[in-house]
Amino acid sequence: MTEAVVASGVRKRFGAVEALAGLDVQVHTGEIYGLLGPNGSGKTTFIRCLAGLVRPDAGAITLLGQAPRAAVQAGRVGYMTQAAALYGDLSVAENLSFFAKLEGLPHAEPRIEAVLRTVELLDRRTSVVSTLSGGMRTRLSLAIALLHEPDLLLLDEPTVGVDPVLRQELWTHLRSLASGGTTILVSSHVMDEASRCDRLGLIRAGRILAEGSAAELTQRAGAKDLESAFLALAGQTA
Amino acid sequence: MNPRRIAAVAQRVALNFRRDHRSLALLIIAPLIVLTLVGLVWGSNTQTPPNVVVALDRTNLPGLIVDKFVTSTAIHGARATYDEGVTQLKEGQTDAVVWIQGTSVHILVEGSDPLRAGSVAGPVQKALVDAIGGAAQGAGVQLEQLYGSSDYTLLDYLAPVLVAFFAFFFIFILSAVSFLRERTSGTLERLMASPLRRGELVTGYLAGFTFFALIQAIVIILFTVFVLKVQYRGNLATIFVVEAALVIGAVSIGLLVSAAARNELQAVQFVPVVLLPQVFLSGLLVPVSQLPDYLRPLAAIMPLTYANEALKAVMIKGAALSDALVLRDIGVLLLFAVILAAGAMASIRREVA
Repeated sequence: MTEAVVASGVRKRFGAVEALAGLDVQVHTGEIYGLLGPNGSGKTTFIRCLAGLVRPDAGAITLLGQAPRAAVQAGRVGYMTQAAALYGDLSVAENLSFFAKLEGLPHAEPRIEAVLRTVELLDRRTSVVSTLSGGMRTRLSLAIALLHEPDLLLLDEPTVGVDPVLRQELWTHLRSLASGGTTILVSSHVMDEASRCDRLGLIRAGRILAEGSAAELTQRAGAKDLESAFLALAGQTA
Repeated sequence: MNPRRIAAVAQRVALNFRRDHRSLALLIIAPLIVLTLVGLVWGSNTQTPPNVVVALDRTNLPGLIVDKFVTSTAIHGARATYDEGVTQLKEGQTDAVVWIQGTSVHILVEGSDPLRAGSVAGPVQKALVDAIGGAAQGAGVQLEQLYGSSDYTLLDYLAPVLVAFFAFFFIFILSAVSFLRERTSGTLERLMASPLRRGELVTGYLAGFTFFALIQAIVIILFTVFVLKVQYRGNLATIFVVEAALVIGAVSIGLLVSAAARNELQAVQFVPVVLLPQVFLSGLLVPVSQLPDYLRPLAAIMPLTYANEALKAVMIKGAALSDALVLRDIGVLLLFAVILAAGAMASIRREVA
């Protein structure tokens, strides 16, 4: 099995705070990998390292066999930020077409329509973004990350504010992308969401505490569900 | 540098701006309102004549001449004693007390406002000329000028620097705030995690904003020339080229400031820091050649100094684009633009290049 993400011994310090303290993560191609941990555990910093936005103090990262920035430059990475970073004065379609141009998509229109259908925003394509609800903005933000059909998707808490029905549908879509060979790395602190991932990494204080499928982790901790497993595993090393 | 990505950023900036009707209106209408006010204040040669009291008890001139002096159109004249005049001066009822003994003319002014005091001497001299014919002017100095003309108003002389100042001022603020929004809304993070390079982003911004800046410049120039009827000698197109070189630098300063500010309030606080030194040192208020020696190096590092110099040369002296001075100034402005754009690029931090 080939690895889409290889991160070894990644360290990053911001002043007095050690955000990443020697993180090791490997994500297989076509896998949905969940990064599960409390706020401030280093999830976002790690994803920003993968997106080429933060340079680790130590350690090495390769994405799809390339350095992070090179993979991004080649249009192989889709990144969805935690806050829906969008242009409020522009319409849904204008936001998408702008990012399509940055990714150099030759035939953007059909792609824009396809991703809008996926996130169920087709009927709002002419709406100005500032008039959208929080959930709709999150979906548009996801649509932008999906736009150029990247080989690796980095999703930082992608379903915050999305209602349960649509969340279910989005996960179905992510699953079908993964079976088509797209590698997906998702960060979350929602257990229900985490249980849908193929493999999970429990992260705390910038380190992976435990790794495995939801079932394995639950069993290893001797817990009744993932949430208590997480609490138990986090407690052991704390 | 990928031209398509640069064009995409420029289009995005322009689209955003077009949607923001209020900013767009402000960009065009605000300078016109201010220029109109400036035109009303400085654009006319007919100032209200000052009130002048002749102190009869200290004046030894024939009554006929005093009559002519008091009735001159240059002043609002009146007769009184010296003490009465001083009282009126203290109470603000008159602008000056005048007495004439032999060949010396004494003018007593209130003195708390130098501008008002200075504006008295001219009309009093004119009134004296009216009173005693050409005699008073006999020893006078005849001022002739190489450029401009005596019927130029203050506005005619100031128009070139005002045109430059407005272009700089509005474009600087708009680019600072809009790039700050890019930083705070998280879209900059998203852009940096796309194939877009920093140089492409800055170039796109420069293109997008310069486009609106040039529209503004056209409107301001046409307004000053055709509505305010400012006298100018040079070519309108040359004025436009100088403006273009100036505003490219203004956009870059805006991007730089947005890096130093955390929010829009802070960005606005940078406005006086960037603008006021240029107001005082760039030749807008005081000619650069009259600045103290130790301030001149500062004037030399300010973009507005060069824009002012070039625009004055073009509008008042009728210099052409091919003049060495104009070309040099445009070159310096473009050099500023390049250095500032490089600074703006460096201010957009992405740890991994």
